[in-house]
Amino acid sequence: MFRTEKLYLSKLMLTIYCSLTVFVLVYLVYNSFRSKQDVLTNTLGIPKEWSFSAYIDVFSIEGFNFNILSSVIILIGSLTLLIFLSSMVAYGIGIYTFKYKQVVSVYFLLGLMFPVQLGIVPIFLIIKNLGLINSVWGVVLILGAGISVPVLLLTNFFANLPRSLYEAAKIDGAGEWTIFYRVMFPIASPIVVSLCIISSVGIWNNFFIPLITLQNDNVKTIPLAIMKYTGNIMLYIDKAMVTSVIATIPILILFFIFSEKVIESVASGGVKE
Amino acid sequence: MKSVKLFANLNDWLKQHPYLLFIAPGFILYSIFAIYPIISATKMSFYYSNGFGEAHFVGLQNYIELFTTKELYSQFLNAFKNNILLFILNLLLVLPVQIYLAYLIHTKIRGYRFFQSIIFAPQFITPTVVLFLGTLILDQNVGIFNEFLRMIGLEEWVRNWLGVPGMGIFIVFILNSWVGVGFSMIYFIGAMKMLPEEIFEAAYLDGAGYWSRLFHIVLPLLRNTIINVVVISYIFSMTIFDLNYLLGGVDGGYEHSMDVLTLFFYRIAFGTSGAMGGSLGSNSLGMGTTIAVVMFIIILIASLVQLKLMVRKEEN
Repeated sequence: MFRTEKLYLSKLMLTIYCSLTVFVLVYLVYNSFRSKQDVLTNTLGIPKEWSFSAYIDVFSIEGFNFNILSSVIILIGSLTLLIFLSSMVAYGIGIYTFKYKQVVSVYFLLGLMFPVQLGIVPIFLIIKNLGLINSVWGVVLILGAGISVPVLLLTNFFANLPRSLYEAAKIDGAGEWTIFYRVMFPIASPIVVSLCIISSVGIWNNFFIPLITLQNDNVKTIPLAIMKYTGNIMLYIDKAMVTSVIATIPILILFFIFSEKVIESVASGGVKE
Repeated sequence: MKSVKLFANLNDWLKQHPYLLFIAPGFILYSIFAIYPIISATKMSFYYSNGFGEAHFVGLQNYIELFTTKELYSQFLNAFKNNILLFILNLLLVLPVQIYLAYLIHTKIRGYRFFQSIIFAPQFITPTVVLFLGTLILDQNVGIFNEFLRMIGLEEWVRNWLGVPGMGIFIVFILNSWVGVGFSMIYFIGAMKMLPEEIFEAAYLDGAGYWSRLFHIVLPLLRNTIINVVVISYIFSMTIFDLNYLLGGVDGGYEHSMDVLTLFFYRIAFGTSGAMGGSLGSNSLGMGTTIAVVMFIIILIASLVQLKLMVRKEEN
């Protein structure tokens, strides 16, 4: 019933806009295989030769692999902590009935009102006192503690589960902890996957927290490390291209493969800081 | 003996309150890193301190200083003005586009899956790379936009587009829009999918055209979603930082032209050359946290609206 519309202008504009996005990304990849001189002096010309040396240099000389490692540890560590903490909290609030339950659930919502930037001075001092400046684990702790959104979504899920499920497991003699991780957590896995997808974008691209706590070059995350090259393109344009490709293209490929699921997750979450 | 008994009692007590063990770990970490910092920052804003040496209580002096010292107040006002500008541009230009795109994709125009993925994709590009992509297009020397201008004979227009005075904030806006336009678009698509199909069919049979269905049926039904997106966009606009910092540096560009509140706060609290290095004011933490508290109040207004919406959603 919708397909009868023509919408030529809209389709044209959409096509142009999307082509621009695709063009910029292809242009980035294409230029990453050209030498510095070639890009700087012969920007739109036909390249004389292909060069892979920048790809080798960023790993062998610049140690970009350490930056990738930092980003990966922060992503996996923060996600694990976030899911572990928030599913337990949500389970505690959602399944059991107790006094002050409302107060506790509102307490966990408060984090939505406080963007992490506002508390960064005390956070910085805590991290410093823990000796975690220049450590990826400091970033993991900070990002893993922002559990407001996951708690909200998971609490709703657990609260809506049929009560009989918990009671049946209880009658079978399962302990509280066993019921949680053998029965309830697996049922929640579709939501957990959605949460992982929504949260990982924010963690992977987080710029502010690592900027404050990571100062040594070899523990910096990918976005911070790239800054060194993009900040001085006359000197480093080849390395800026290569690191940008490494930071961008694999993730985009993953996104296009799983785009249905990713988009569905975002649509269902609908909450972002 | 006594301690064993106490332990047994505690164990019994926990058995009767099993939820405590589930909530405790999250409660502790969340309290330390999400709630305590806000309380602590509020307290610090009443002290004169830079983290070294002694802090002494000064009451509201920091707030008075922020709003009466000409240098501080003008920087604050200028940064806040830029935050507001970004919010208004978002509201007037990005939000309508998001609804429009969502409607096109919701009505399954040809190739809608492809369009949807491409529009959403920049969400995954890290801010540093986003600015670099902007550089590849707009830079004076390597930018292809200038090459394009030369090609079509507009030599006199060639310039360093990233360095035009006063333009920086708009570059930040354009790049942020490119990254963010897909996010709320997906959110709107999700909301449109929830609308009952029959309404559309009835309107279609009544002869309502494609666009009149958007304006007269979809938009009124999306009221709550739109309010929610406006709130999210407000909070986002008030806490924006990455691209302003990357493009303008810690000073926010020439004459602070692309300064924003978080950048102003960062500059005062952490000095002009990185975290806790370089030139730190003698009251960096006192004044820094004061700015944070003022920002918190600015955001609180919107957060309360959002919280109310969420509680209502939870009740449904």
